[in-house]
Amino acid sequence: MMRRFVKSVLAGLAGLAALTALSTGAEAQEIQLTGPLAGAPAVRKLRLHRAGRFEIAPGVSFSLLDQYRRTLLPGAALTYHVTDWLGFGVWGGFGIAYNAGLADELQTKAIDGRDCANKPFSKACKLTATNLTHGKIADDQLGKLQWIVSPQVTVVPFRGKLALFSSLFVDTDVNIFAGPAFIGLQERADCGADSDGVKLAVTCADQKSFTLASRVAVTGTFGLGLNFYPSSFVGFGFEFRALPFAWNTSGFDNHGGGTNGDFPDLNVNSADRELHFNSMVTVHASFQFPTAIKTTD
Amino acid sequence: MAMKQARVGLLVAAALVAMPVTALAQPKAAQPKAQAGKNPKDTSKDKPAAAPAAGEAKEVNLEGADAPKDGSTTPVGGDAAAPGGDGSGLGDICVIDPTACPTIDMDKAANRDMHVQMYAVQQIYALRNHRFEVNPYFGITMNDQFVAHPGPGLAVNWYITNVLAIGVNGNFYAGLNSNSAFNLQTSRAARVGEPITEYQWNANANFSYIPAYGKFSGLGDFIFHYDFFVLGGVGAISTRPIAVVDPDNRTFTFKPKVSFHVGGGLRIFFNRWLAATLEVSDYLFFDELENPSIALGTDPKTSKPLAQDSSTWLDPGGASFTNNVQAQLGLSVFLPFSWEYRLPK
Repeated sequence: MMRRFVKSVLAGLAGLAALTALSTGAEAQEIQLTGPLAGAPAVRKLRLHRAGRFEIAPGVSFSLLDQYRRTLLPGAALTYHVTDWLGFGVWGGFGIAYNAGLADELQTKAIDGRDCANKPFSKACKLTATNLTHGKIADDQLGKLQWIVSPQVTVVPFRGKLALFSSLFVDTDVNIFAGPAFIGLQERADCGADSDGVKLAVTCADQKSFTLASRVAVTGTFGLGLNFYPSSFVGFGFEFRALPFAWNTSGFDNHGGGTNGDFPDLNVNSADRELHFNSMVTVHASFQFPTAIKTTD
Repeated sequence: MAMKQARVGLLVAAALVAMPVTALAQPKAAQPKAQAGKNPKDTSKDKPAAAPAAGEAKEVNLEGADAPKDGSTTPVGGDAAAPGGDGSGLGDICVIDPTACPTIDMDKAANRDMHVQMYAVQQIYALRNHRFEVNPYFGITMNDQFVAHPGPGLAVNWYITNVLAIGVNGNFYAGLNSNSAFNLQTSRAARVGEPITEYQWNANANFSYIPAYGKFSGLGDFIFHYDFFVLGGVGAISTRPIAVVDPDNRTFTFKPKVSFHVGGGLRIFFNRWLAATLEVSDYLFFDELENPSIALGTDPKTSKPLAQDSSTWLDPGGASFTNNVQAQLGLSVFLPFSWEYRLPK
């Protein structure tokens, strides 16, 4: 795909390059069309950091662009690489959630400041009865990621090397991965009525409704990683991962009523879940086994 | 395939036209390999047609020649009769053009000192030294959940060295700010008015540094080059609050504020003058926010409601430190398009 794109760009710009060549240098001659390198492989003596090896990669993931709760996931990936460009494995981590700035602000201004436990008659407290707990917002209603497990296929389309400060050189590669993901999460329990309209025992204005329920969300995950190999069996890298799925991060009643369900209906249920393009970056070390490395011709 | 042929045709045509003007590639090809690294000075420009003196080595492409496998001495050229007169090997050129007949002592050549050191990056693919970089891009907000600040931008850099540049960049946001659905939902559910602002433009003077560069083999078939860069600078950003607490009385105007700029990114080269650029930049500044309270009463001097007094519209708590983090995706064009390497390797 990349090759086709590069060719398309080059072909489209060839005319421009030719015009440019009239007044500048013969830059185009740098392209190796003939000569002793014609037909030769792009890289010789390539170190195969992955082919036929197991890779264990412990790391830490940091969620990005969170609205209320950020998640830090210590975890690891275990992958067996059938070839240098194809591997199969599993990645997982356990979530440690902590408040984003908005959650703290809501706790301070909208919950502690209003003191609705003692002033339930105030206008603000009446209007927010279905949406705000009188206790701790993080414990009572905000969604949180607890764990993630993902079997995944890894493809390595790009191999190369990196010069750091023109003095340190390290093998690098870029991998892309995809697979199903199983996500253990907590979000505000259903109250008022479920998504089928069946009445539930607790109304959402009841403070007892402010509790978290666990469920497992199933979705797909995909991403891209950049890996460095300073030695034959130890490396490190960075990874961007996307986990798009719908969940209720706030515990609010945002949907279910009005046209197309775009307005509150005094119930909290699956209709209040919104699709989030959940994303995270991972920093990891990697260890390849066996430790001996192969090279190409 | 046809596209490739068209490209080749265009390039050949361009080369033919450009050859009378300049021929960058030719002097490099005329450099003796045996002396590479010892004496990089190229004298072939001055005496392109001069015949080699007796015993003086002249370049020969050993990779393309049929070198003897037994390692025996193969005197070629010189004052002796042209070898290979049988129509094969290096002798052919002696028949066609005696002045260009290669002279090389194969034993001597085989025993010469070898400079076997290999460089990780033999020759930087896209030199940046003393070139301009023009980088149009489009930026999107990364950290503002309430208001999106997308907008086009332009960066221009001048590379003082191959890894250090000075430059300017600017973003244009006016008319493109948009409140998010999340802002509406949060305000509606929690009955809180989150102070929000919109941006008009920003401009910065920057230093850029490239700590890392390298190349990738793509699918084992083609090679492309890339680099990582970091940058920092100072500039200004024009912003104003969006009135959400008392929109009936409050109207804000844009005001520029001093901003600082830090960022970093990845540049992937399509060729020696065109690259795709992905950058994450953080513009840091002290922003003025709307006062969450509405002043009550009237001004005794003017008898106007204090709510209409613009001095009461801004948050009395002072300016708020703000990070405007944005992802920027664009193209980089390096000018001039071509250059000459100072050294052949």
